[in-house]
Amino acid sequence: MHDKQQTAINRRNFLRAAGGASTVAVATAAATLNPDEAQAYNPGEEEMGPRYQETDHVKAFYRVNGYETLEK
Amino acid sequence: MARMKFLCDADRCIECNACVTACKNEHDVPWGINRRRVVTINDGKPGERSVSMACMHCTDAPCAAVCPVDCFYTTADAVVLHSKDLCIGCGYCFYACPFGAPQYPRTSNFGSRGKMDKCTFCAGGPEADSTEVEYAKYGANRLAEGKLPLCAEMCSTKSLLAGDGEIIAAIYKERVTQRGYGSGAWGWQTAYRETITV
Repeated sequence: MHDKQQTAINRRNFLRAAGGASTVAVATAAATLNPDEAQAYNPGEEEMGPRYQETDHVKAFYRVNGYETLEK
Repeated sequence: MARMKFLCDADRCIECNACVTACKNEHDVPWGINRRRVVTINDGKPGERSVSMACMHCTDAPCAAVCPVDCFYTTADAVVLHSKDLCIGCGYCFYACPFGAPQYPRTSNFGSRGKMDKCTFCAGGPEADSTEVEYAKYGANRLAEGKLPLCAEMCSTKSLLAGDGEIIAAIYKERVTQRGYGSGAWGWQTAYRETITV
């Protein structure tokens, strides 16, 4: 009876010890993670650069859309 | 530097859907996805209004704010683009977008949607300009070719305007001074925090 009770206590102690160890492991992992804020995807200067050009094609679009309003 | 914007003059839109068709054809958009669509309010009744909607390339894009993998970026032209290599198809951007712009190619019983697809302002994606890889993922890069989005260029009634925000706002303002404000520049306040006052 006494042995049986001792075994049960050991099992409980083991679970407590395992729980404590896992808490320490999680805290360590959290501390070693990079604390920086999330950064938006950056494909590089070249791909982020301006593409719009006011070509004759684009000017023609503005002209025909403002044909009745903008200066002739 | 020019800031790219869309403006749909709802008083002129006749719901012809040419913008939708032009976009699908130009970018070889997959089945089940419409990067642009025409929404009609009070269809068939007096006062009916149609508005052509797509990604408005918002100033402070809510899609980018909620993306868990931060796959969105804004170019120097203020065009909001995303990387399909990073996208996990979670669908958060769809719920965040006030215009319902993000679309997904698949639906399944297990929630898999595939990579998000949306209007790119005809500016391609993060791959090198005008390459096959870029075309396959994001469609044509007309901006790099010195052109504007095809939906606006194809618009038969000159309802859909695209390009430098200041120039298209000036075109719209002049229209308003001649004919009245009408239904207004729908979506500008939401996307750009700006109204056109005349």
